[in-house]
Amino acid sequence: MVENTQLVSLTVDGKKISAPAGTLLIDACKASGIEIPSFCYYPGLSLQAACRMCVVRIDKMPKLQTACTVPVAEGMVVTSESDEVRQARKATIEILLGNHPLDCPVCDAGGECELQDMTFTYGAAESRFMEAKAHKEEQQWSPVVFFDRPRCILCYRCVRVCGEVMDVWALGVQNRGVNSVIAPNMGDHLECEECGQCIDICPVGALTSGAYRYKTRPWEMNHVGTVCTHCGDGCKTTLGVRRADNGMEIVRGDNRDKSGINGDFLCIKGRYAFDFQQHPDRLKQPLVRKDGKLKPATWDEAFDTIAKRFNAIREQHGGAGFGVIGSTRTTNEENYLLQKFARSVLGTNNIDHHRTADYPAFAAALAGKPEMAASLRDFEKTPAILLIGNDPTHQHPMLATAIRNNVRLHGAKLFIVNHEGLKLRRQSKAYAHIPKDGYGKFIAFLGGDDAVASALANGHTNREQLMAMREMLRGEHQLVIVFGAEVRGKDLETLVKLGMSHTGVKFACLGDYANSRGAADMGLYPDLLPGFTPLADAGDFAAEYGASLPKSAGMDLEKMVDAAKAGKLPAMFVVGANPMARYNVQLGELKNCFLVVQDMFLTETAAMADVVLPAANAYEKSGTMTNTYGDLQIVRPAGDFAGAKPDLELIVRIADRMGVAPQSLVPFGRGTRADMGQSRGAQSGEADRHAIWMVAQGIEPKVSPFDPQALLDEIQRLVPGYGFSRLNLFAGNDVPTHTAGKGKGAHQDPELIWPANDTLFTSGTLGRYSNTLNSVVEAHEGKRYPTQVETD
Amino acid sequence: MSVLKDIGAIAKGMSITFGEMFQPTVVENYPDGPGPFKGAKFQERFRGLHVLQRDENGLEKCVACFLCAAACPSNCIYIEAAENTEEHRISGAERYAKVYNIDYNRCIFCGYCVEACPTDAITHGHGFELAAFNASNLVYRKEQLLMPTPAPQLQR
Repeated sequence: MVENTQLVSLTVDGKKISAPAGTLLIDACKASGIEIPSFCYYPGLSLQAACRMCVVRIDKMPKLQTACTVPVAEGMVVTSESDEVRQARKATIEILLGNHPLDCPVCDAGGECELQDMTFTYGAAESRFMEAKAHKEEQQWSPVVFFDRPRCILCYRCVRVCGEVMDVWALGVQNRGVNSVIAPNMGDHLECEECGQCIDICPVGALTSGAYRYKTRPWEMNHVGTVCTHCGDGCKTTLGVRRADNGMEIVRGDNRDKSGINGDFLCIKGRYAFDFQQHPDRLKQPLVRKDGKLKPATWDEAFDTIAKRFNAIREQHGGAGFGVIGSTRTTNEENYLLQKFARSVLGTNNIDHHRTADYPAFAAALAGKPEMAASLRDFEKTPAILLIGNDPTHQHPMLATAIRNNVRLHGAKLFIVNHEGLKLRRQSKAYAHIPKDGYGKFIAFLGGDDAVASALANGHTNREQLMAMREMLRGEHQLVIVFGAEVRGKDLETLVKLGMSHTGVKFACLGDYANSRGAADMGLYPDLLPGFTPLADAGDFAAEYGASLPKSAGMDLEKMVDAAKAGKLPAMFVVGANPMARYNVQLGELKNCFLVVQDMFLTETAAMADVVLPAANAYEKSGTMTNTYGDLQIVRPAGDFAGAKPDLELIVRIADRMGVAPQSLVPFGRGTRADMGQSRGAQSGEADRHAIWMVAQGIEPKVSPFDPQALLDEIQRLVPGYGFSRLNLFAGNDVPTHTAGKGKGAHQDPELIWPANDTLFTSGTLGRYSNTLNSVVEAHEGKRYPTQVETD
Repeated sequence: MSVLKDIGAIAKGMSITFGEMFQPTVVENYPDGPGPFKGAKFQERFRGLHVLQRDENGLEKCVACFLCAAACPSNCIYIEAAENTEEHRISGAERYAKVYNIDYNRCIFCGYCVEACPTDAITHGHGFELAAFNASNLVYRKEQLLMPTPAPQLQR
């Protein structure tokens, strides 16, 4: 789309419309509610004009014109529907159907196929062709991509989305004219990022998904819009769910409605890696250790065991006897509740999580200037981006796509500083290949320290190139600086301070898991309360919790594990994490430690636990999540797995058994019980509007102790930076949060940050239990991607 | 005289009664008749228990397109689809119905499913003895609905 405020007016079907100059006729019509059919046109992709479906009559032009390639012009008179146009479109469909098999009943696209819709609209149902259709066998191009050649209508959308949006160029066209055929890059199979964009964008059923294939039909599913549970980008995904014997099974993931920050983009994980949800190894009931072995138990027995031991340990050792480890994949409400439980019930600051980025230092550096934190949306339009460290192609696929699209569509300038050759380099204006330990020096160099330039220069990037890059960067306004875990502590502080001296600079800090940022924001730190509030400023929280909170900083993750190994930590409570695998603790190495684990699977950590509680995953519960850029989104329950309970419910139930009133943890029952409005007669819609308004204002009654919204109210009230628009959030949009610390953050040990090192095809524990991801890794094994990743 | 008249009237009436007694029966000999329907006879168009048809090769005609389930006004058809493989071929097309249940608690025998079927796989047979002591026995599974193999001659 062209950035131009000058409006052009034209007439379409007798209706006067106006659009910015440079807009394509097809877009201008769509914006005014006139639908022009097309197969090959797709917003954001290059123009093809291959399908001839969008033909319209434009006055003073000799022939029918393709609306997808004609920009609007002043005074243009267009006829989009007439006998002539209908006839042309009908003929196009008839020819397309000439060799298109009529196997709609078995085709996965049946019911949501654009060709099917067009045939119904224009009615080329009867063919005049006598010739037999040329049948070709279906091909499997990769574990997730199947190609049925006769169904293909050669719109080239897949070729363009693969090349232009993904910059993979794995699909191409072979031969010419009637012999044209879409072909994969390796002859008979694909070697690509397996993002599935080609399948999603295919207007017919020529490209179909290996994960969804023949499982169901589009109208048989319910669709739930929620947030992807894999990386830190927080893409919105629409999950298709279907009733199964043990709850609701997720059968498909896509985002065809283009809602959310990611538009229609999803990577392989968002699109296919939901199958851990129905993995046969999932825990279906609580396990309690008896005679040295984990044995199935009832919920009552499990909760009793935990409550008894926790109470005894609290009496004997006080808060110092507990270590609590939170998750990077649970919701904000659960993380918040966990730290509240740890601090106000267990009375300990020994709480931590798997850190993947230095968020506390980032928040401290941004103190007082929260507007300098970039949202993921900023990458769509900003004119310049500086990427320091990280490999977004693998670790933040949506960020990489946003950057590529920005460079391609808006001519943004991308600057990259990295110690490895990234794929995104192909989009970069300047690229500095620095030594692995050179990030601190590079930041000093940016600040004007020329002395380090020679230390940074190497065979890839010389001194002059570095100088030129710095010069270009200094000339950039509205620069977004995005950095990975390579930049932490002092370096981060220096970088942000440096950026603050320029106007219009924004920052983003990249953490790895779906709710890494949420875990940090919600205070899963031994020395920070929610919102990066120092322990000394605990006033608001202590008043709300009605308990005096522990004053001194607790143990971090590493110290907790060491203490447990040394027999100095009587109890450990692990929620959705796998620290024992990370620290390579072997079975039996924990001494005198009562370990409670909430997880989906019997991970290394769960295997050494005394009590294991089967937990629901993020696709099975409601709440909110914050992506690594601070964008808050709502999570809705899609799947359902009999036997598992959300972590929130588990924590409340444990507290309840310990004799704590659930109201003191979850402020439920405090909402305003207002008149629900007129609910009869002509104004019956009033009740709905009333309810929506109450949700938006946060005053609807919360009647359950397991209601995450009750906690969300408290988060909004207490956590600095979480004063977001509820109406926007509950409408399903992303809302920015602004968690900037109140000055000096806690000094974090840089050794405690371990990036996940996930590739496109791995996703910690979830990836281990995703058959689709594993089959793709197997197909790619040893070819390009390393698979050594962290276990969370 | 009136006595004779009365006797005559009775004789006339009884002659019809006794005359009909020796005529062939008009009602069907159900349930003692021959065949799977025990003597019950139906019009061709009668909509009874569904039959899932097979093609000339003995493969199932159903390709699990779910159109019958979509057309069903009482939502009584449940299907799970699966893919045919070379070794395990059930239907003629790419996929087949791994599970095909019709819940006769709910079915209203409207025939929409038959009308919707693109492969003529589901038809109304003439089975009508749909009674059970337990409602769950009225959920018929694919094995109960499927035409036996090899396909027998159509029963009239």
